[in-house]
Amino acid sequence: MFLAWNEIKNNKLRFILVIGVLMLVSYLVFFLSGLANGLEQLNREAVDKWEADGIILTEESDLRLPQSLLAEDDFAGEGAADYTALAQLSAIANNGDQKANVFIFAVNDESFIMPNVTEGEVFTELGEVIADDTLKEEGFALGDELTLSSTEETVQIVGFTDKARFHAAPVLFTGFDTLDLLRYGEGTGGESEAVNAFVIRGDHLDQIQVDDELQVVSTNTFIENLPGYTEQNLTLTLMIYFLFVISAVVLAIFLYVLTIQKVSMFGVMKAQGVSSSYLACSVIAQTFLLSLAGVLIGFILTMITSIFLPTSVPIAFQYIEMLIYGVILMAVSMMGAFISVQTIVRIDPLKAIGG
Amino acid sequence: MAILELNKVRKTFGAGRTQVEAMKQTNFRAEKGELIAIIGPSGSGKSTFLTIAGGLQTPTEGEVVINGAPMTRLKEKKRAKLRLKEVGFVLQASNLVPFLNIQQQMQLLDKVKKDNMKQEEAQQLYQSLGIEHLLGHFPKDLSGGERQRVAIAKALYTNPSVILADEPTASLDSDRAFEVMDMIKGITKEKQTATIVVTHDTRLIDDCDKVYQITDGEMTHQ
Repeated sequence: MFLAWNEIKNNKLRFILVIGVLMLVSYLVFFLSGLANGLEQLNREAVDKWEADGIILTEESDLRLPQSLLAEDDFAGEGAADYTALAQLSAIANNGDQKANVFIFAVNDESFIMPNVTEGEVFTELGEVIADDTLKEEGFALGDELTLSSTEETVQIVGFTDKARFHAAPVLFTGFDTLDLLRYGEGTGGESEAVNAFVIRGDHLDQIQVDDELQVVSTNTFIENLPGYTEQNLTLTLMIYFLFVISAVVLAIFLYVLTIQKVSMFGVMKAQGVSSSYLACSVIAQTFLLSLAGVLIGFILTMITSIFLPTSVPIAFQYIEMLIYGVILMAVSMMGAFISVQTIVRIDPLKAIGG
Repeated sequence: MAILELNKVRKTFGAGRTQVEAMKQTNFRAEKGELIAIIGPSGSGKSTFLTIAGGLQTPTEGEVVINGAPMTRLKEKKRAKLRLKEVGFVLQASNLVPFLNIQQQMQLLDKVKKDNMKQEEAQQLYQSLGIEHLLGHFPKDLSGGERQRVAIAKALYTNPSVILADEPTASLDSDRAFEVMDMIKGITKEKQTATIVVTHDTRLIDDCDKVYQITDGEMTHQ
């Protein structure tokens, strides 16, 4: 530490450059991880909010909710701790000023997937809905009358709930009777049995008995099969992994050049009997200090930037994940330092002093 | 008692027809408190002798013993330890770390080795070398002579039993050179070290207990 720290103190510019590179890489890593999280949430937060374990869809639906059509009495809860039916419709909602792509979920108002109301009240009458509160930011308000793209009927926002986006669109929650009205128009009168899925709670999904045409999957599998979800996640994750490699290589090069410059100094010290391991530890300690500083500054920059981002950027930070990424960045940086360590070990003191 | 012994040491480079004998078979002993000068033209093998004696390279044949420890037979790691403990090098190339001030150069030695000079002892050393006012300076701020004196202080700081100096007075003016030589002699006697000074400055050898001449790898007592 003694050597490492004094060298940094006396060669500030050099080491500020190294820290700068690390800072930019960690900034990008933190930002991408925030973006990946944000995009994930955009797709799944409504499902996460159910705190459900599994979902029953038809075999032929290929795990797509809109394509899964089943009857309300297809499942009676065998093997599940709790279950409830879910029906959905996707539409464009229009309040006269704004249009928004929405999912309409029909839920039983006594079931566990019934959303909490953060503003306004729950739906009670036909045609009333609870909306995800991101719609508020888009210009929708309590009491808005919404026309829908697929039907002549209108619905009214009577309440808002939080964290209710599914597949990148806000969700409107309503009762089955309202959904039937939207789907089939007036005159069919509340005796429909068509639902899209059953949401299940229970620890043993494999013990749930369903007909051959149905399948039980975990909610995670369900989300991962949303169109584009996995692809988008993999892309961002791949970028993050590449950044780890890049930071290791860049730092390795930097440190290697710095080490090469100091070969004769190290050689003289080795001639005097200072052990290679002491010098190697010094380089590792130096890398540790540099990467710690780079990662911390990168983190602070990310936080500052996120304050100024418009709300339309889907960014959400998971601090534990960021901590892990920070530690990984520091670890790969130290791996980069090992090339320099090898160089130091191989320095022949005799050559270094020109004997 | 001999602190440094070279027994039948020979060093060759290369092999076959291109083989060069850098050091012919040599026996050499240095006792405690002895100041020995080795003179000779450049390329005669002075540096080879010094680096073999200091364990920086191994001889092709023969054995080097420092303070009873068989240097030649040790692995590099142990050799480095032995060097740190027993040998003080004063090298031609400045052996100072550029980003440490003079005080910190000594602190670094404290970090890697115990039993170095105590505070007062070190102060005395700095005063006798005339560098006590330079302790807060960095090597780049020192003149060549000052750097050389700091290098000597650094070599002595670890209380070595053998001091190997390669042209310690090369970058000093005559007055300073004599002064430094006197100092080295004083320390040799006081600390009972075996001091070997390689030089081509023949004016300095009058003070020495023994003088050897190296010509074409062959060492002769004068």
